[in-house]
Amino acid sequence: MSEYFSNIKTGATTIATGMGITLKHFFNAIKRKGDTGIDDADYFRQVDGLCTLQYPKEAIPTPPHGRYRLYVNIDDCIGCCQCERACPVECITIETIKTTADDLAVCGKTSGGQQKRMWVPVFDIDTAKCMTCGICQSVCPTDCIYHTPVADFSEFNVKNMLYHFGNLSKIEAEAKKKKLAEQQAQAAKEKAAAGAAGAPAAKPAPKPAPKPAPQQKEGEA
Amino acid sequence: MQELGKAESNSTRIIRQDDKRVIIEKDLDTEYMVLSMGPQHPSTHGVLRLECITDGEVVVEAEPYLGYLHRCFEKYCENVDYPAIVPYTDRMDYLAGMNSELAYCITVEKLLDIEIPRRVEFIRVIVSELNRIASHLVAIGTYAIDLGAFTPFLFCFRDREHIMSLLEWISGARMLYNYIWIGGLAYDVPADFKKRVAEFIAYFKPKVVELYKLLTENEIFVKRTYDIGIMPADVAINYGWSGPMLRGSGVKWDLRRNDPYSIYPELDFDVPVPDGKFSVVGDCLSRHLVRALEIDESLKIISQCLDKMPEEPNFNSRAVIPKRIRPKAGEVYGRAENPRGELGYYIVSDGKSTKPVRCKARSSCFVNLSAMKDLSKGQLIPDLVAIIGSIDIVLGEVDR
Amino acid sequence: MSSSPSLNTWSDALSGFSIGWFPLGLVIVAVIPLVFIALYALTYGVYGERKISAFMQDRLGPMEVGFWGILQTLADILKLLQKEDIVPTAADKFLFVIGPGILFVGSFLAFAVLPFGPAFIGADLNVGLFYAVGIVAIEVVGILAAGWGSNNKWALYGAVRSVAQIVSYEIPASIALLCAAMLAGTLSMQQITVMQTGPGGFMHWFLFNNPIAWLPFLIYFISSLAETNRAPFDIPEAESELVAGYFTEYSGMKFAVIFLAEYGSMFMVSAVLAVAFLGGWASPLPNIGGLHLNDMTSGPAWGAFWIIMKGFFFIFVQMWLRWTLPRLRVDQLMYLCWKVLTPFALIAFVLTAVWEIYR
Repeated sequence: MSEYFSNIKTGATTIATGMGITLKHFFNAIKRKGDTGIDDADYFRQVDGLCTLQYPKEAIPTPPHGRYRLYVNIDDCIGCCQCERACPVECITIETIKTTADDLAVCGKTSGGQQKRMWVPVFDIDTAKCMTCGICQSVCPTDCIYHTPVADFSEFNVKNMLYHFGNLSKIEAEAKKKKLAEQQAQAAKEKAAAGAAGAPAAKPAPKPAPKPAPQQKEGEA
Repeated sequence: MQELGKAESNSTRIIRQDDKRVIIEKDLDTEYMVLSMGPQHPSTHGVLRLECITDGEVVVEAEPYLGYLHRCFEKYCENVDYPAIVPYTDRMDYLAGMNSELAYCITVEKLLDIEIPRRVEFIRVIVSELNRIASHLVAIGTYAIDLGAFTPFLFCFRDREHIMSLLEWISGARMLYNYIWIGGLAYDVPADFKKRVAEFIAYFKPKVVELYKLLTENEIFVKRTYDIGIMPADVAINYGWSGPMLRGSGVKWDLRRNDPYSIYPELDFDVPVPDGKFSVVGDCLSRHLVRALEIDESLKIISQCLDKMPEEPNFNSRAVIPKRIRPKAGEVYGRAENPRGELGYYIVSDGKSTKPVRCKARSSCFVNLSAMKDLSKGQLIPDLVAIIGSIDIVLGEVDR
Repeated sequence: MSSSPSLNTWSDALSGFSIGWFPLGLVIVAVIPLVFIALYALTYGVYGERKISAFMQDRLGPMEVGFWGILQTLADILKLLQKEDIVPTAADKFLFVIGPGILFVGSFLAFAVLPFGPAFIGADLNVGLFYAVGIVAIEVVGILAAGWGSNNKWALYGAVRSVAQIVSYEIPASIALLCAAMLAGTLSMQQITVMQTGPGGFMHWFLFNNPIAWLPFLIYFISSLAETNRAPFDIPEAESELVAGYFTEYSGMKFAVIFLAEYGSMFMVSAVLAVAFLGGWASPLPNIGGLHLNDMTSGPAWGAFWIIMKGFFFIFVQMWLRWTLPRLRVDQLMYLCWKVLTPFALIAFVLTAVWEIYR
């Protein structure tokens, strides 16, 4: 019998304690936590009160090296395709064209002073596939591909999630390809002419012409 | 539990004596009903499906069906490089990404046989303990919601949000971190990180007390979980249980103590085990209590790490990361204490490739869930929900 | 209808008022509770619950529709109105459709005997309290029809649980209300309220003018939570166990009707509680010396204000409890009813009888 009454008593007291806590929160609702970021010294200053942020109007600030939308600083890209190979979800597509000797100056240098030897007409990132792991960023020798803290880049059409970063337009790329092919054909011819004496001349000739973009991949599945 | 055997026969009635034991008496002629609980059910924590054979409200048998979230983790690992597996381990147990990463990385490091800088070890322990707190908060919060209390759930998520912000600050992502790398870390921690974590601990301690008062001590909560779903220690060991589930059954087994890794041997913390005063050892309440007490222990570990962590200006957290990870031929099994139990990776390398030949994950949730059939026999449907909640499954890890 | 003629003159005058052949007064009388119900259900009921729960959980709650989301419920109802009215193929169509109707009617029928002021009551039955208790039980039929008619296992569980729960909790609830009826010596809602009025304000309420009434008051409050399927007794619609209980299969406007019925009966039990123990429309303020606070805050309009405020207060407590407590298990619910509330209700009943004889 005493257990019966002690049960009722503990039930009543614990319920009252719980109700006290919720009521305290109810009256604390006049305070709001606000949208201070974690890197702000005031982050833990306001600990009580409402913590909702009304998203489109207010948002939690993303930290400076937040890993969200990918960005490529194509001016620094040397077309090494390391990121493409490293990406676990294969969301990066790169096509490169070798720069001809007379174009090296036009192609320019990276901000680190390295001579670029590739045109990158196609540098597509399918951000819909990207899982923001940051591996591409870690393998890039010139730090030209990196995640930005832009967290909200939603689109109504998934095709808009495909970002193009290539530094040549289609016509330009065609021209460069043609130029390269011509030059290579020229070189091959010269080589053939030089080595006409003994070596089988026909062998190197078909090599350069047909594959102007060796890194080209099939369209992503 | 013996009396419950009678539920096998038809025509039953239940009586719960002294608020503890279900007794089933023969009575009117009744029929069994097959009740498919899930995969779309609020309390199956994702996409678990339980096929229950019920006799009224009594579950005669419950059979878990898995695979709704299967993503071929192990097969995928055979096709990507070692470092590229790390983001996938995040996606296994998505509530405790750091712990999964840590388990994977120490396994590969064992295979590579490399020495890790001390500062890296400390940061790893801090982040994984923070993540353990976050994971336990979700476990406790969703358990509260399973039992009908909505408010503790949101309080837990409010505090978890701070942990996620802290981890986002250092790693760049809120849930799927890819922060712990093989041989190092993606980044060193920001300058103010130690201060902010200390502030978080100061902020969090009263909130934990409040949570205890609101939920753990609540008489209705205690009555709902007390003496429900008892798992004796020997059966738990035979099932291969680990983590809070095994400790809830009274076995003091914690890989951080029993198979120490990283810097855990240097740290002072307890392994909480229920003493049978507040709960019956092995019941749902014990498992809940173990999780609740582990939050305190994790806080203790973090504050010790903050004190002991060596300060190194211009520290390069990627210094010892190998350029190309190609382990020598061999196999290795590494394990770490996940918030849900022992998470182990078995990796086979052929010595030539930069990809593992085989990467098997020993998932704690999967093993813990295997006892579901035993635990659910003869329970009421509300108790079944309480039992599922106390197992604290993450279907991402169960199905992989 | 006219057990208190002096108080009902205002109401009688209103109902006698007509323009030519058109009984405008009667229409107004009929419209007042409807308008109140609509306003209450739209504003305080659903919106209030969402805001209160939000503030208790450190959230903001609805904010987008209107100022601080005040029109959120309206927007929700508009959305629900536009939804396709789905009747599952396997469902018993008649029961499926009739279920929400019975629920809705059952929860609002009791409003007829609620005295909204000294001058306004829908029907001052001499068995008003009895009627109020009885009519709520009609909801059981609606719930059973909805649960059975859905042809869904979860809905069936919910319905069976609900029937067991409501029928059981009728007993302590009725005994507790019987204590109030004994204290008043009548079953008429208006008369019970009149018994609790006086210059002393709250001193005349049954809760405060005798030493026993707190017990039936508490018992009725707890049982009323169970009768309206509110937490911690919300096992018929236990979200984490039974998905949504007896209304799992409902969508669109039928769902909205079930929802509104729940809030309607929430106010109903709160108002009955207020009438039985807290003086209904009687003002709580006492006359202190020359300051006639009680007289100043009495009257038809004030009466409506006080009873609605008292009802709202208990609805707030119901919400407060809901957002604090976990849910009981089925057998614990029955334990509480039969082993705790019913014995205590009987004790309270005897004590009240003794008090009535010897005071």
